[in-house]
Parts: sequence; structure tokens; C-alpha cells
Amino acid sequence: MSVLEAPRAPVPPKPRNPRTVLAGWVAGAVVVAVHVIAWRATDISIADLVDGWQGMADFLAEAVPPDLSPGLLRESAEASLVTLWIGLLGTTLSVPLSLMLALLAARGTSPAGWIYQITRGLLSFLRAVPDVVFALIFVTAVGLGPFPGVLALVTHNVGVMGKLWAETLEDADPGPATALRSAGAGRIQVAAHALLPSVMPQMVGLLLYRFDVNVRSSLVLGLVGAGGIGFLINQSIQLFQFDQMLTHILVVLVLIIAVDRLSAVVRRRLAPAGAS
Amino acid sequence: MLRLTGLAVRYGDREILRGIDIEVAAGELLAVLGANGSGKSTLLRAAAGLDPVSRGSITVADRQRRTMDIALVFQKIHLVGRRSALDNVCAGALGRLPLRRSLTPALFPRDVREEAMACLDRVGLANRAHDRAGRLSGGQQQRVAIARALCQRAPVVLADEPVSALDPAAAEQVLALLAELAHGEGLAVLAVLHQPDLARRHADRIVGLRDGAVVLEGDPRQPVDGLYADREPEAVR
Repeated sequence: MSVLEAPRAPVPPKPRNPRTVLAGWVAGAVVVAVHVIAWRATDISIADLVDGWQGMADFLAEAVPPDLSPGLLRESAEASLVTLWIGLLGTTLSVPLSLMLALLAARGTSPAGWIYQITRGLLSFLRAVPDVVFALIFVTAVGLGPFPGVLALVTHNVGVMGKLWAETLEDADPGPATALRSAGAGRIQVAAHALLPSVMPQMVGLLLYRFDVNVRSSLVLGLVGAGGIGFLINQSIQLFQFDQMLTHILVVLVLIIAVDRLSAVVRRRLAPAGAS
Repeated sequence: MLRLTGLAVRYGDREILRGIDIEVAAGELLAVLGANGSGKSTLLRAAAGLDPVSRGSITVADRQRRTMDIALVFQKIHLVGRRSALDNVCAGALGRLPLRRSLTPALFPRDVREEAMACLDRVGLANRAHDRAGRLSGGQQQRVAIARALCQRAPVVLADEPVSALDPAAAEQVLALLAELAHGEGLAVLAVLHQPDLARRHADRIVGLRDGAVVLEGDPRQPVDGLYADREPEAVR
């Protein structure tokens, strides 16, 4: 039978609920209205951007070519490593507390409703306070340098990782947990033997993603005195040494790409692991 | 061994089970048959304590059912795919282990690991002990789940459509294994099944459910067409 001769049947019109259609239009109108408000509140002006292009061009002209003297490159590389170490410790040192709070903030593992609510509130607070603010607080406690940067990242990261991991645990296949619960396993045993092993690749993937983010955040923390390459970038801007600033930015670019590639490779290796 | 007396389950206004009386003796494989919606799985979940019962009682060896008395084998198997077959079987013993000896598989006492190994051997999978459960075939995974149930040391095993997701050869193997465990280990096994022919070949007795009530009971070779007759066919998807 040719395609032309193949039997056909009329397609009935798709039933549409007028209320659903109206709700769609209302949602669309709200989204547009919110964007108009945001556009006005942030003083966005294409005209100002076009008028000010000369300032940007002058800035870039002073930065190019970058200063590639060996002394500066070495200083930049050493500071980049400090930035990397801040990001690394800011991520790994947050793991124990993040895991504990994630277990208390996930519906399947939290021992009581009120504990769930309090933990969720604490995680929201730690996320809501930017890491830069934590860095300023810790600088007043322990002075300038990488240490307050690590403390700031750990504190903020606990809030983010705790929430992400809690949601991963809530999304885990409940089957193995039901099986172990029916065999008499307690809450912690169920978490240790059913939930955590099932979602371990996702949790490690999220941790690596946060490592990636934290390395970039530690750069910003350098601007407020937490050491690393951010501190050098800030210094070169204040001294109008834009060619040195560009050198530092290029070194940072290499660092960020390396971290991104590394975490992508590890995540890819974790992904295809067997069922559930 | 397992006795369900006047068991009723209600979801809102609907009575799903209407006073079920079933007894499964030690060393017996009882198959529960019935069409979709007849209450088979609800019966099993209620007996296992996963769903609340509105009235009736469940006893094991003449005393009130305790969690550890009943081991479950699920249709969807529910193993942790990333863990080894042996670790999955060890998890069956979690209910009797203190937390400090069971927080990770590495902490499991040697006797539990050896017992789990014996359970795997019992289901014919000793040679796959260290393979990830997720890499085993469906039939092998279900056998690991049965080994996990054995490691729980429960006198009663409830199996909820344990062969629905398996090919005919694997289904045959799993049912034969359940029958062997009932007869050889003296376990009371209640299996919810969709395949009357499997029940005919392996069960010692059958119970037929229809609309939440027992409508036939006894010889597995008796005709069961009445359980499935006059039902509206399900919409073809």
C-alpha cells in the first residue's frame, strides 16, 4: 500500500477548557507586567549604553595588551591557586553539615514536621545571606586573608548544598526505602542503605557544580579582602594598571575553564552507573 | 502461620477489602488470584502493615504481627542498583542490627555477611555476590530480592506480583524458587499472581478475590475463569 492510499481518519479538534485558556493569558500578562516593572526599576537605557561606548573602548585600550612579564604571571598563578584552595575547602568542609541538614530537611528522612520546618528555615537563611556579606563578617573576626573566605563559602554553601541535597533525597525512588522499612530498618538505616546510595551520583554531581561556583565566588571574595586572585584584580583596578588586571583575568579564565572541564569529566563518569 | 481474620480496608467511602479470612500454613505457597482492582495488592499491603486496616486482625504464629515477622518481595523489586547483590541481601538483616554495626555495608558483622552469602547461594546467585544489583537481569534481581527476604529471617514471605515484570522463563524460575523455599525452609509464602497457569503449577492452594471478597479457595487446578469474567475491558492505551 502506498503512502497516498494509507487509511486516514479526521483529527477531532483538541478540547479546550475556557478557564485554562484564560489562565494562560493571565499568566502571560503577569510575566510581561513584571518584566516592564523590572526594566523601569533597574534604569535600563539602551541610549546610555550607546552614548557611553567610548568609555568602554578607552578602558579596553588601556588593558590591551596584557602585561605578560614572568614576575606578574607567577604572582597571578600563585594567587589563582589560593583562589582554587579557597573554593575547594569552601566546598568540602561544608559537606558534613550539609549532609546532616539535608537529611533533616528532606520529607522522607526528617524525624518530625517541626524539625523539617526549622531546618528548611535555617537553610533559607544561609542561602539568603550572600557569601560576600559572610566574608565581611568573618574578616572582622579573623582578619584579612583567605581564611575568612573559606569560612564565608562554607557557611553559604551549607545553605545551598543542604537544600539541593534535601530535594535530591526527596526525589529518590521510594521503592528501596519502602523495602527496607518493611524489613524493620530504622530511619537512619533507610537513609544510609537505600536513599543515599541511590542518589549518590546526583549528590556528587551537585557538589562538583558547587565547587565550580565556589571557585568563581572565591574570586569575588578576594575583592573584599579574602585573598587570592580577586584581591590582585581589585588592587590593579585601584592603581589603574588595567594591563595587569587583564593578565589576572586571563589567568582566572584558564583556572575556571580547567575546573569546569574537570567537574564535567567527573560528572560524566558518574552518570551512566547502573539502575536506580 | 499467617492468619488474616475479617480483614477490611477502606479508602474514604470505598471498601476495598470486605472481611477477608485467609490462613497460610508453614511450608505452604498460597497464590492469590483476581482481576485488576479485585483487592489483591491491597490485601498484601495491609497484611504487611504498609496500609492501615479498618477492621480485622493479622497474626503470625498466633500472636499479633510484628514488622520483622513478614518479609516482602515486590513487583518492582526495589533493590539499590548501585550496591552489590551481597550488600542488598545484607540489608534484609537491618531490623535486627544495632545502628553502629549497620551504618555502612563495611560495618556489617561477619556473621551477617556470611548469612547473606548463604541466602544468595540458596537462590543460585552466589557467583554474582559482588556484582552491582543494577547490572543483573530482571529475574536475577528478583532472586536477590528473595534472598534479602530470606536474610530477614521472617517466617512469612509476601510476594506482590513478583513475576509481572519478568519473561516467562524467569517467571517460572522465581515461582519455583518461592515454592521450594516454602516447602524446603518451612516458610509461609503468600504470592499475589496474575497468571493462573503459574499458580496451577507451583502453588499448593489458591484464593480467588473479586470485588474485595474471597470467592474461591482451594485446589490450584480448579477453573478460575469466574474471577475474570464479566469485567469491563481496560481501555487500550
